Amino acid sequence: MNDLIIQKPLPIADGDSQAFWDGLKIGQLLLQHCADCGHVQYYQQRICRQCQSENLQHKAASGRGTVHSYSVVYRAPGPAFKQDVPYAVLLIDLEEGPRMISSLVGKDFDVLDFDVPVQLETIKITDDVYLPCFHVVNK
Amino acid sequence: MPRSLRGKVAIVGVGQSPSGRVPSRSPLDLTADATLKALADAGMDKSEIDGVLTGNAFASSFHRFSIALSEYLNIQPAYSNTLQVSGATAGAAVNTAAAAIHAGLADTVLVACGDSLLTGMTPDMAIRAMTESRDQQYEMPFGIPVANTFAMTAQRHMKEYGTTAEQFAQVAVTFREHASRTPGAQKTEPITIEDVLNSKMVTTPYHKLDCSLISDGAVALILTSAEKAKDYTNDPIYILGGGEYYSHEHIFLMPDLTQTGAVQSAKKAYEMAGISANDIDVAGIYDCFTGTVVMMLEDLGFCKKGEGGAFVESGEITYGGKIPTNTHGGMLSYAHPGIPAAWFHFAEVVRQLRGSCGERQVIGAEHGLVHTLGAGFSTQATTVLGTESTL
Repeated sequence: MNDLIIQKPLPIADGDSQAFWDGLKIGQLLLQHCADCGHVQYYQQRICRQCQSENLQHKAASGRGTVHSYSVVYRAPGPAFKQDVPYAVLLIDLEEGPRMISSLVGKDFDVLDFDVPVQLETIKITDDVYLPCFHVVNK
Repeated sequence: MPRSLRGKVAIVGVGQSPSGRVPSRSPLDLTADATLKALADAGMDKSEIDGVLTGNAFASSFHRFSIALSEYLNIQPAYSNTLQVSGATAGAAVNTAAAAIHAGLADTVLVACGDSLLTGMTPDMAIRAMTESRDQQYEMPFGIPVANTFAMTAQRHMKEYGTTAEQFAQVAVTFREHASRTPGAQKTEPITIEDVLNSKMVTTPYHKLDCSLISDGAVALILTSAEKAKDYTNDPIYILGGGEYYSHEHIFLMPDLTQTGAVQSAKKAYEMAGISANDIDVAGIYDCFTGTVVMMLEDLGFCKKGEGGAFVESGEITYGGKIPTNTHGGMLSYAHPGIPAAWFHFAEVVRQLRGSCGERQVIGAEHGLVHTLGAGFSTQATTVLGTESTL
């Protein structure tokens, strides 16, 4: 097996998403707010998915959300993730409205449940890539 | 009157390669093998094929699989495309072929697909297959296999409707029973609900036996106009209706995790066919995971939303039940060579409607439905088929 096989897929920013990945490097999860129709969207693109306006503003999310659904992965999707299993993939409903895919920080799966509150935690992967992950907020 | 495909086009030939573990045979070889068998089934010479539609094969390096297949068979079609809507490619290809024939772009279309996921993948090809199917920026960095997208919908279904792991497991048990009657099925030894629940967890709530197989294999279908169909066979199986729906790319933009675009694709297909779910005698439903079937039974109208688990548990998807489903054993037990997997559902439903299924025959089947889907319920394609008596 060669290096290609153990390397995790890393996001490669494009013209639509550069600001998003830059924001994560300073701890910000940027959402796009449409100044024309008020729609808030995740992920980044040049036009509003609701009204097609180009009048979009980046604003940092609060980082607060709840778990809409989740699944604990025991069989890795390829060799790159083998050392990580088990890990939990989450569908998070952000306080601002949008839903996103993320993963749980750590392996405390017992605290995972539908609708439990979670908080953003950016995780450094490389000097250029930070991923927006979440941990469960202890009540 | 809305434009309609009802009764305009028929499937006149079905062929399949050996499936399961078939080493040392390339995806093109397998697909050509299936094609030659479909031609023989139709009693047709390959010179009559002027259209070729396929999906892509992971274990083949050809970008234009339909063109490569044509060259392999020495066919020069006037109409061709290699479609990619993941698991829904089979239904989309049949619907599209029917539309092309009805519109005059081709007279007779080969709709084929083959792959060798089990024995034909180099490590590089396996990586491509494993990582390319989800978005590289907003999904894949979190280690989200496509299985996980389906798993999260199943988890939510359990939460909202009380569906149980035992009910999901029953789908695998039923399809294994079906496979035990089907020559060529990859897995035929009986399993119990306990076997499913005791098999290794893959991604909650799905155990290994809740997940479809990995296989080699190919299927070919030959479609031609209703006018020409009787030249080839006494049992043409007609396309009565087709409908598709594509609701999202990212799983986080799926409008509702427990209700899918199959509602819309089926509605369109039923309306075109002029029938409802109650009229369907036999079904082929894409079964990448057990819970997928439970949700589709609801969205295709065979039972009410939230009642799919109980519907399966009470024996409604096997012989004597409301809708015998995947009578060949499906992707869970017959074969799952990737994109070609749902072509086997078409092959089985056509054979059921022809009345040629022997001991696994659904007696008197006249209306059949095939529903294919993919990519975390992103892509949905429904096709309603019928015998001549349904026209």
